[in-house]
Amino acid sequence: MPRIIIDNRQIECREGIPVLQAALEAGLDVPHYCYHPSLSVVASCRLCLMQMKMPHPKTQEMVWSPKLVPSCQTPVRDGMEVRFKSEAVAKNQKACMEFFLLNHPLDCPVCDQAGECYLQDYSYHFGDAESRMVDQKLVNPKKDIGPGTLLYQDRCVMCTRCVRFIGEISGTHELCMVHRGSRTEIDVFPGLPLDNPLQGNVVDVCPVGSMLDKDFLFKRRVWELSGTPSICPGCATGCSIRIDHADNRVCRLKPRFNPKVNDRWMCDEGRFGFKYIHEANRIASPIVRRGLEQTTPSWEQLPEIVRFRFQEHVRRNGAEKVVAVLSPFMTCEEGWLLIRFIRTIAPEAALVMGPVPLEGEDQYFPVGATSKAVKFTILAEKCPNRRGIEMLLKAAGGTTLTFGEFVEQSGKGEFSSAWVVGGYAKPWIDKATAKIAANIELLVVQDIFESGLVAGAAIVLPARAWVEREGSFVNTAGLVQPFERAIAPPDGGRYDGQYLFEIAGYEGLFSAGRVREMMAESISAFREIYEAPVLPAHTH
Amino acid sequence: MAWKTIDRISPAVDADAEPVLSKAVKAKIRSFFDRYETKRAALLPALHVVQDASGSISWQAMVEIAELLEIHPSDVIDTISFYTHFWTRPKGRKVITVCRSLTCEVMGGVAVLEELKRQLGIDEHETTPDGKYSLVTEECLAGCDHGPCLLVNEKLHKRVGPQDVARILADADNDRIAFERSDLFDAPRDKVVTGAAAQEDGAHRSTSKDQEKRRAD
Repeated sequence: MPRIIIDNRQIECREGIPVLQAALEAGLDVPHYCYHPSLSVVASCRLCLMQMKMPHPKTQEMVWSPKLVPSCQTPVRDGMEVRFKSEAVAKNQKACMEFFLLNHPLDCPVCDQAGECYLQDYSYHFGDAESRMVDQKLVNPKKDIGPGTLLYQDRCVMCTRCVRFIGEISGTHELCMVHRGSRTEIDVFPGLPLDNPLQGNVVDVCPVGSMLDKDFLFKRRVWELSGTPSICPGCATGCSIRIDHADNRVCRLKPRFNPKVNDRWMCDEGRFGFKYIHEANRIASPIVRRGLEQTTPSWEQLPEIVRFRFQEHVRRNGAEKVVAVLSPFMTCEEGWLLIRFIRTIAPEAALVMGPVPLEGEDQYFPVGATSKAVKFTILAEKCPNRRGIEMLLKAAGGTTLTFGEFVEQSGKGEFSSAWVVGGYAKPWIDKATAKIAANIELLVVQDIFESGLVAGAAIVLPARAWVEREGSFVNTAGLVQPFERAIAPPDGGRYDGQYLFEIAGYEGLFSAGRVREMMAESISAFREIYEAPVLPAHTH
Repeated sequence: MAWKTIDRISPAVDADAEPVLSKAVKAKIRSFFDRYETKRAALLPALHVVQDASGSISWQAMVEIAELLEIHPSDVIDTISFYTHFWTRPKGRKVITVCRSLTCEVMGGVAVLEELKRQLGIDEHETTPDGKYSLVTEECLAGCDHGPCLLVNEKLHKRVGPQDVARILADADNDRIAFERSDLFDAPRDKVVTGAAAQEDGAHRSTSKDQEKRRAD
């Protein structure tokens, strides 16, 4: 491990990284725009320049070089000494900031980026409060460059992160730089807009308010948002994300650094795929039916009712007539609690893996990359936790069926009571299957939207969206990734983990971590969870 | 949209437009492929050839070049817009480039430019109505020791004063160059290509035939 000295402080850093990255990892705030750890280095913003000790050409004595060098382009070398705290460096930073703001419209009050803008931050920390610009500012156009993104050229600092992202990560090359010098602009070829499954990331890589997300435009000021770390349920990749929410509503999703899964990216499908959680037609509260009578039990009564109804059926029809269909949208903890409940009531009960939604084909990025060069994957398997549920089913043993077998056997009347979990973002059950399932005497349906199943169900439980739950998903690579609860369910009621916890016979508050500990006792795979490292404060 | 924005989503070219690059031009561009490791590297030669053939590089031509070099059209406009040499809209048969750098300006370049504007009746970056001349300015033409300088196509006129402008404009051979030039980046001459006919009646080029004639003289 190389040891280098930054500002008289000795630090140990990773081999082969630029000095800038080493400084950021050591917690220093070094201003930078064009440097991005996942993209190629262009050293064009000149904001990260540093002073380095070099041998004097005549005396060979190590002295501070009179010229500044870009720290993003200088790899660390054992024993090197650099400094950011010097007059020359500060002077350069001030000069650079003045240039960056030369034509900037200073429209922070109406800018979406305000509050998370590195023009604001760096201007405050490293810039000058005054501009000496006396001439008219260049007014650059706003461009509609794609269905999801708007380009506000005035605010651009020409770091070219977006152009590099589109070239190096998505590999779709829609963005380009036109003209040159002070008149350079980011642009697309007219008629070939920025439209690819990863385009939303250009808004994230943009350090200023130049790339704007049309979906989030003018919706919220960012300082009103709270961020909760989460995992994207969109596909089996399991990207680490951050849920930005305010007033119990999710406003936007942002990718979170995860070196093992998604690096710093996420796809648009995941980014904008959360809208269903705020639809009005969600199942809000539990419903219990007996004959023609329909009641809405309180959350306190619910566990007793569910247990009683199942016990009644097991007594009457036998334990082998019980079945539970687990959904790949459930967390591992919920799955475990449900299995525990079902197998306690009926040890011979069959367990079923719910349908796994597949859409299209796996997509690899950059487009056309060979397997080694793949930097991002969108999987065709559009559910977050097939692996986790499969692990639970395997560990539970006993009778396990596929969904097809379950439908077939239900048609023959093999089951008298069933607990069917949905939770799918899209309609998932066809009329024929719903009709077959309706013949099951005690049908418990736990779903997010009204499907054909709900009409024939004896007990309806509202499944919550993943943002309203906590637990863990196991992604396609087998990583057990925990996530937190961001908002409360729309009715303010209990969420799946909590009511399953109570139904399974536990008391008190559900905690995913505690349930995971219990799971780990019997299933070794849950002993180790993977949580993505938190990035140093000043990286972006 | 809440703001007035420039629409970049609507296409600049019709999907069913006729191709503008002739077979000969395409063949010439392909002839550069062997010189480089990637096809993309042949972009600059390709642009030179296309501009020589058509006078300027249209959106449609950019799309066709991109197709040929297996790159995205945005990479083509990226390169074209970087170089002032390349025209994306029709230019005159002859381009007059006036130096606006320090030395020429000190020596009276501005007066030359003003005189040109007056006599041609056009401003910078404009083309005369008859399509004969386009007028542009450029940084240093590498003739600082003979300023003020201007170029008519590729011919450098040195020590030009406002009084010389009329003479230069009247001279039909004002773009004839006296030395052999490479036709490596020229469009193929034997076949007439789109727009090149117009180019050829006014613009003299020092072809090998000219060279021989001059040597014989």
